[in-house]
Amino acid sequence: MIKITNLEKYYRTEEVETVALNKLSFEIKEGEFVAIMGPSGCGKSTLLNIVGLLDDADGGSFMFNGIEVAGFNERKRADLRKHNIGFVFQSFNLIDELTVFENVELPLIYTGVKAADRKTRVEEVLDKMQIMHRRNHYPQQLSGGQQQRVAVARAVVNKPKLILADEPTGNLDSSNGNEVMQLLTDLNEQGTTIIMVTHSEHDAKYSHRIIRMLDGQTVTENILV
Amino acid sequence: MLKTYFKITLRNLWRNKLYSFINIAGLAMGIAAFILILQYVSFEKSVNGFHENIATTYRLLNEDPKGQTWPQVEPGWAQKAKDRFPEIQAYCRFEEGVGQGIVRRNAENAEPFRETNVGYAEGNFFEFFSFNVLEGSAAAFKKPNVVFLSTATAKKYFGKAEPVGQSLTLYNQFGKANYTVSGVYDIPVNSDIRYDMVFSLETLSNPANLNDNDWAQLDNLSSQYIHTYFRINETADYKKLEQKLTTLRNELKKDKDGLVFRLQPFANVHLPASFSDTYQTSGNLKYVYILSIIAILILAIAWFNYINLSTANALKRANEVGVRKVVGASRGSLVLQFLGESMLVNLISFGLALLIVRLLQPLFNTIIEKELTFTSLLSTPAWVAGLVLLIIGSLLSGAYTAYSLSGFNPVETLKGKLVKTTKAVVLRKSLVVFQFSISIGLLLATAFIYRQLNYMQNKNLGVNTDQLLVIRGPQVDKDSTYKMRRTAFINAIAQQSFVKDYSLSGSVPGNGYNFATSGFSQPGSRKGDELKSFSFALIDDRYLNTYQIGLAAGRTFTQAETMVDWNDNDKVLMNEKAIEELGFKSPEEALNTKVQWDERKLQVIGVVKNYHHIGLQKAIDPIIFYPQSNSAYFTVRLQTDRIQDNVAQLETMFKSYFRNNPFEYFFANDNFNKQYISEQQYSKLFTTASVWAIIIACLGLFGLATYTVEARTKEIGVRKVLGANVLTIARLLSKDFLQLVFIAFVIAVPVVWYAMYRWLENFAYKVQLSWWVFAAAGIVAIGIALLTISFQAIKAAIANPVKSLRTQ
Ligand SMILES: Nc1ncnc2c1ncn2[C@@H]1O[C@H](COP(=O)(O)OP(=O)(O)O)[C@@H](O)[C@H]1O
Ligand SMILES: [Mg+2]
Repeated sequence: MIKITNLEKYYRTEEVETVALNKLSFEIKEGEFVAIMGPSGCGKSTLLNIVGLLDDADGGSFMFNGIEVAGFNERKRADLRKHNIGFVFQSFNLIDELTVFENVELPLIYTGVKAADRKTRVEEVLDKMQIMHRRNHYPQQLSGGQQQRVAVARAVVNKPKLILADEPTGNLDSSNGNEVMQLLTDLNEQGTTIIMVTHSEHDAKYSHRIIRMLDGQTVTENILV
Repeated sequence: MLKTYFKITLRNLWRNKLYSFINIAGLAMGIAAFILILQYVSFEKSVNGFHENIATTYRLLNEDPKGQTWPQVEPGWAQKAKDRFPEIQAYCRFEEGVGQGIVRRNAENAEPFRETNVGYAEGNFFEFFSFNVLEGSAAAFKKPNVVFLSTATAKKYFGKAEPVGQSLTLYNQFGKANYTVSGVYDIPVNSDIRYDMVFSLETLSNPANLNDNDWAQLDNLSSQYIHTYFRINETADYKKLEQKLTTLRNELKKDKDGLVFRLQPFANVHLPASFSDTYQTSGNLKYVYILSIIAILILAIAWFNYINLSTANALKRANEVGVRKVVGASRGSLVLQFLGESMLVNLISFGLALLIVRLLQPLFNTIIEKELTFTSLLSTPAWVAGLVLLIIGSLLSGAYTAYSLSGFNPVETLKGKLVKTTKAVVLRKSLVVFQFSISIGLLLATAFIYRQLNYMQNKNLGVNTDQLLVIRGPQVDKDSTYKMRRTAFINAIAQQSFVKDYSLSGSVPGNGYNFATSGFSQPGSRKGDELKSFSFALIDDRYLNTYQIGLAAGRTFTQAETMVDWNDNDKVLMNEKAIEELGFKSPEEALNTKVQWDERKLQVIGVVKNYHHIGLQKAIDPIIFYPQSNSAYFTVRLQTDRIQDNVAQLETMFKSYFRNNPFEYFFANDNFNKQYISEQQYSKLFTTASVWAIIIACLGLFGLATYTVEARTKEIGVRKVLGANVLTIARLLSKDFLQLVFIAFVIAVPVVWYAMYRWLENFAYKVQLSWWVFAAAGIVAIGIALLTISFQAIKAAIANPVKSLRTQ
């Protein structure tokens, strides 16, 4: 599903140039659950953003479902993204001014789903995430675990083939964290490909494979399953 | 989709109450000011527009070689021009001022009224112009001794009774004459021609009705006293006609005076670009321009608030933008969303503005001295232009915000590290500088206008107008007993204990002169001096005393000298300016030399110290005082402060000697200050505009300060933990803003200096553009800004740092 070869990414500020990704290569197949680990600043988030088509690379090749997307402009990336990829962030990133229901509904609006369909689909995922009773609450009225469940619900509502999670349990206590990991595992079992960045060896155990990074490069791969 | 946008906008506004309040209040104030001013501009543009034939109607003007113009022309030209030039379809003449007098209903015990707003007009007046004749027929006006009344005047004289068919007596310089009321008309508020009553000009075509005023003969080509309007063919070129009229003038006029004829389109009469205007209600094009500019500037200040606060708020909105992009929003849809938001904010503000307009209408009307209503706005298509401007402005300010907010990179915003682009910061700072330049500029202008006004009202005039009551002399029943009655009245005045001084004169300070004329010389004069113009004031022996005007040399008139017939008199007083104009080196020289006035020789018996007979806009004129016991004005200096009682007493006395005359009086100082109405109007306008602008700009500043403090909460907390005190922190937060206000001040100063320099050129006597006024205004502006910012700065500085660090 994803084939990355010699991917490069630099950040330039006035004085320094940081090499965030240094000729990085790997491949991920459909249905896999991959954990990415490594010390802070090694380029994990950068990689995830590029894979998630939020950012573009400065060099190398990125094949997504057999299409070279490295040279895509913002509009094309956005188009591909909204139909195929869901995101879960460490800091949840819900919109404070929208209710739980409206937050989850948002991706469906942008993909042009009709209002009636939206309602059934949102309710379906909220049910699955066991957050239905909070549908009319605002994010700030929820606990961290509940917020992250809403975020996962939002990530999956569009039935994406790929879910990218950047330290999804980073802001959660262990029981809430485990719940989220269970959700991701369930999703994976239903066929969704998952790439997750994590610092936790415990969380990494849920995955099939661990890619370890250092200074913008992959160093080792542990196959768990 | 639209519904969610709408929902999120309202929720956003509600959540950020302070921000929404500042934005909406500022915009509403800006839009309200704009609507009010647009009303005024609309009204001014609509004036005279109701005349059906305005496009083919022209006013005849005289123009002298200096380019000065005036609309009073000789009455004979109209018919001569129509006979000669076929493109002239019709003409209509009317005069203003000549017909003034006293009018009384012909009935037992009817009250007399002085009518100043009346005149004689051509028989076709009600056909030529599009006034509504409500009763009677327009054609009835063609007969002699016919009068038409405005609805208000008809009510004043006849109450509920039917006016048409009744009769009135008019006492004026043409003697006493009877007029039959044959029509009642209505004058729209937006008309320049505003007679209370019109007498048929046809009356004056009969020499018997002229009372020996031969100058008024309707076919004469020598006395300029009548207004003449021509209706010309649509295809005719009025510029060519103008030349032909001048040629006609040169051909028929015996004494060449160098004047030429000009034709002014009736459509330009109200807001003339260059021709001098003459109507009481006449607009002032400059005033209209200044107001329009102020309106747009205030609106701009409000929109800049919107841009500044919305982009500053971006810090908060960035996360939303990022999330929306991650879940699939395109930039276009975000632009639409933010544009919609700005439209909604503008719409709410617009609604609020309409409310403010309603509330402030009375105040605005007093400033502008007009009776405007919301419907004035719709009287010309100007409101369309206004609406378009409003829409474009809100679109542009919204578009900028939408563009900059939607441009955020989600990768960065979601990291919570929104890079402040220097471009946005520079723009925000420039906008603040602009807002305060305007505000400070208006404040400075206000200060100087106010100082000039104050100066004019308080300058020593060389004449004491305090506690001087001026009574208009009688005009009715000036029969053989009149002189006796006048003497008796004066004697009665003299005996009152509250009367300190009294005088009879033909002109009083603040009301102009009796007339101006030339033809003076003295043996030492140079050639051409006889062309210099001197103003005449007719005074009695007590005038200088009563008005407390000083003498530089010689003496004033004796009572006997004021009784001498006009043509037999050879004694005059002159002011210092007059003897200087005549070329005398000293007052003594003037006293010892005879002055030639055409064929007559005059003896200057006294030199009057210069004093201001008219407003300080004009330099002191050379004045010749001529002895007359003329009764145009009785001036009384009151000694007590029981003014009400004294006036009542004077009225009883006046009525007992001059039975059929109205008792009319004014105070000399009020009357003098009336000359400053235009300056007072400017002063009020600028005060209001600057207060308005400053409030809006400060609202914005307050909002920005709030955001800055919010964004720097953590920094402030850390600094406090490290030992910074409240003052250092407050200063740290205020410094940047004060810098901007100071830059604004530096920009405003030269602009205002130049504008005020030009404005003050209108005054012969004026205040200095003192540096300290600039400094004071600068300090006030910076003070206001400091107050605005310090509220937030101090609040942040005294907050508990533990709290602020925890919230991060
Ligand atoms: N917007 C940016 N500008 C400059 N440098 C950046 C930016 N984003 C990330 N970096 C740098 O790139 C490197 C990789 O960052 P990141 O991908 O966030 O690491 P990780 O997620 O593994 O902690 C780091 O050195 C970081 O400082
Ligand atoms: Mg990271």
